[in-house]
Amino acid sequence: MKRTGILFFPAFDWSLGDTHPEREERLLYTQEQLFEEGVLDLPQIKQYSPRVGSLHDALRAQALFPNPEAYSDSLDAHLIAAGSAILLGEARMRGDIANGFVLARPPGHHSGATVWGNRGFCTLNYEAILVNHLRARFGVKKIAIVDTDVHHGDGTQDIFYHDPNVLFISLHQDGRTIYPGTGFVNEKGGPNAWDQTVNIPLPPGTGDEGYHYVLENWVLPRLQAFAPDLIINSAGQDNHFTDPLGSMNLTANGYGRITELLKPDLAVLEGGYSIEGALPYVNLAILLALAGEDYHHVREPQKIDRSVLTLATLKPYVKELKKQQEATKPSFTTQSKAFFPKGPWIYHPHSVYYDTDGFQETRHDYIRQCNHCGGTVYIESASASSRQNSILVRIPFEACSDCEQAGYDLWDHLQHHCQDTTNGLLQNQLLDKVTVWDRKEGLREF
Amino acid sequence: MEAFDQLMIPDEQALNQITVSTTLVTNAILQNRMPAVQLLLFPGHGMSLKAHTWPVSYLEFSGEMDFRGRETEPTDPGEWEKLLTPKRLESPVKVAIVGKFSHRNSLHEEQLAAYLRGINPSLRLAQGHTWGQANFYRRSLTTYLNLAVSDLYHQFAEQLQSAVSARKIVAPISILKADGGTLPLSKIRPIESIYSGPAASIMAALTQSEATASSIIVDIGGTTTDIGLVLSGVPLLSSKGAQIGPYSTLVRSLAVRSIPVGGDSAIRATEEGFILESYRLGPAYCLGGDLPTPTDAMRYLGLIDYGSERLAEEGLASILPMERRTPEFLQELATAIIDLVAERIAGAVDSLKQAWQEEPAYKVWEVIHPHEALTFNTLVSGGGARGMSTALERRLNTPVQLGAFPEVSNALGAAMAKPTFDCTLHLDTYMKQYRVEETGEQGKWTGSLRPYREVEGFLDELAEQQAALYGIKIDDLEKESFDFFPIVQGYKTVGQIVRGAVHLRSGVIGRIRL
Repeated sequence: MKRTGILFFPAFDWSLGDTHPEREERLLYTQEQLFEEGVLDLPQIKQYSPRVGSLHDALRAQALFPNPEAYSDSLDAHLIAAGSAILLGEARMRGDIANGFVLARPPGHHSGATVWGNRGFCTLNYEAILVNHLRARFGVKKIAIVDTDVHHGDGTQDIFYHDPNVLFISLHQDGRTIYPGTGFVNEKGGPNAWDQTVNIPLPPGTGDEGYHYVLENWVLPRLQAFAPDLIINSAGQDNHFTDPLGSMNLTANGYGRITELLKPDLAVLEGGYSIEGALPYVNLAILLALAGEDYHHVREPQKIDRSVLTLATLKPYVKELKKQQEATKPSFTTQSKAFFPKGPWIYHPHSVYYDTDGFQETRHDYIRQCNHCGGTVYIESASASSRQNSILVRIPFEACSDCEQAGYDLWDHLQHHCQDTTNGLLQNQLLDKVTVWDRKEGLREF
Repeated sequence: MEAFDQLMIPDEQALNQITVSTTLVTNAILQNRMPAVQLLLFPGHGMSLKAHTWPVSYLEFSGEMDFRGRETEPTDPGEWEKLLTPKRLESPVKVAIVGKFSHRNSLHEEQLAAYLRGINPSLRLAQGHTWGQANFYRRSLTTYLNLAVSDLYHQFAEQLQSAVSARKIVAPISILKADGGTLPLSKIRPIESIYSGPAASIMAALTQSEATASSIIVDIGGTTTDIGLVLSGVPLLSSKGAQIGPYSTLVRSLAVRSIPVGGDSAIRATEEGFILESYRLGPAYCLGGDLPTPTDAMRYLGLIDYGSERLAEEGLASILPMERRTPEFLQELATAIIDLVAERIAGAVDSLKQAWQEEPAYKVWEVIHPHEALTFNTLVSGGGARGMSTALERRLNTPVQLGAFPEVSNALGAAMAKPTFDCTLHLDTYMKQYRVEETGEQGKWTGSLRPYREVEGFLDELAEQQAALYGIKIDDLEKESFDFFPIVQGYKTVGQIVRGAVHLRSGVIGRIRL
């Protein structure tokens, strides 16, 4: 029997604040709906119980700055969501399930390669932690992540921007009209992973029909061409027409169809804050679609009262968008520092805003351009809140020997010559080792 | 009452409690000896009804509630007219009415019930919301079954009561339930009497272990072995309701694994050696049967002293090829049989332990404080107990204790079982509604929007009323901590959903010392 795993972790004792959208109540009605329907009694559905993820797993994908200890009290719920994603991912890899749904709070897709705190309700990025875990432990080569949250999955994009073996596709409401304000067609990946990031910003008002059109005519062909070993869907539910933050017009049935089209190996809940009008129905439709059951009877009580863009209006818009996307050619700045190993190095400065606590992170990313592997990544990161400078050195999965050596040289230099840096992380994905360095405490393995 | 009279109790009037464990309802359901019940559903939208396998037929009507108990679609009385068949108009037909989310709002069920009652007052009606737990599918089948077996059960209850009264016995009569607890004969809902047999054997084991011990309970019968777990003195409950035949129910039951292995399981020779069948074909060879069984292996090894030693040897020898029928190979074969039985039992023990360890958790606190590892002992009872104890001790790696009075252990368990009691509150202060899972009671909340201490007193009061209704005493109630969910509308807290429960877990009135 084709089995569908579900890991339902509503974190009923955890919130980001009493009236915060990310609060105890968020999955309460989803629980009521799933339990009342008796979905968990279906013979093909297997429920799993949550597990705490390890810091090693988190640090393999993300740098927790200034150091992991700074998060000791606040990481529990996030680590459980990460551990739960891994648990279901492992069940998928072992063949215990054909697909699965990680229905856990809080979300994670705004959390990027470097982390200084919570942003967009996210602290850890579960898809990224899961993907890197499966690559390290199961040797999975090619993974696609399709982000169907209404917000751009900027954190996931940041983590895999230089990774040629992860195809990241984000469909979202146009960044000019919604948080986080990124995710435009010209963001197509770093020098070694050009065109492995695909952003599809859609106009407010896009409904089921338009969304499915984009999936069938843009996303699915792209997926097919990449031929991934695994497809992960960041299943945000804020495209629903009742969502208080998004302005799209999708229905629960529309989400069922998205799932049916994408056929993800794992769906991972992201955002979605219409906790009564949408979540109980959308979650049910997604789970039923994964389980191969008819989802067409699922219907939210409210009717759409926003105007939906017709397919006739949307089609030319999407075609133009796709043309723009295809026309975008790589343009990178070559720049390195005196102590850098042999390059060339591509320099990409940018900043990241942490909305939860209201501060700015300044980043200077350097990527070793390489024809053989994903390339060594060197990121200088400074947070305006702590006035600390931290450095992430990443030796990628399947690194070539030059890039591996470049990573060790940079790591060595950091410890002995960077006077203004207080912390660092060596993310050695090649050997699955993560090492944290602190000026006061020295080196520690996680 | 024949069995009762055989007890030859010297002073029957001095009895202060009679508890009965009966298979009446279980058998009626499993043998499908039930009168017809009409099942009328308000399924609303959501998952297709066809996703589940329905062992009974049903009729669907429009009308829908949501998870908060708000009406999202009214009923359509026009549709009900098709129910007016001549049979329903006159005879006392049984009708079960169940709506999705009726445990949050019983309005639609009550509307249809009132309509039907108005047409034919002799109809026997049951409503789903009286089973106040979530799960529309299970609630429908539970309501159906409970109504289907009610006549049978009530006849039995009446006859039992009058027979006992005729003997001038005033002791109250209770019935043992699937959760190992008891309830008065007249208060129990008939369907709750299913599976009291396995529950009784767990309760019997409980009388023989320390009050807070953790035990693996193994009851080895002729064809099946029942396995249960006691965790720090409390038997493990099944996380889902009981499954009986094709029916999934909401009946709370102890987590018991029944495996088709016992002292009389048939053993057949194969090319590789032997297989242990999952059925019985008469008694053991050493007791005059036709096929060798684990009992013969026990007899041959001298682990038990009943049955013919010569026949046991003869039976086992029939498994071996001619040239290997020597004491050395017989010994090896007998040991392998016993070890295989122990292996099967251990497999079920592991699966129960796993179910316990992997119970779903919905709170951060629960996940970062997992179940502590417990030290188990094993209590083995039933016909095959003596012969299996050493092998089980070795395989389960725990001390093994033999159960006392194996021939009457179910009676012992029933007699010593205490009442169980649960009162689970679901309160929605914004909707000003409260519901009680166990009774299906739905009422108006007049307290504050954000109650704190107030809700504790409210639950205590509900529990006391409910206990009085059942006629049981509730002294040491275990209180679950309340869950508070602030209800927010537009960044403003407008109310709370509060969930809380009190329990009287299954237990025994005393312990027997040997």
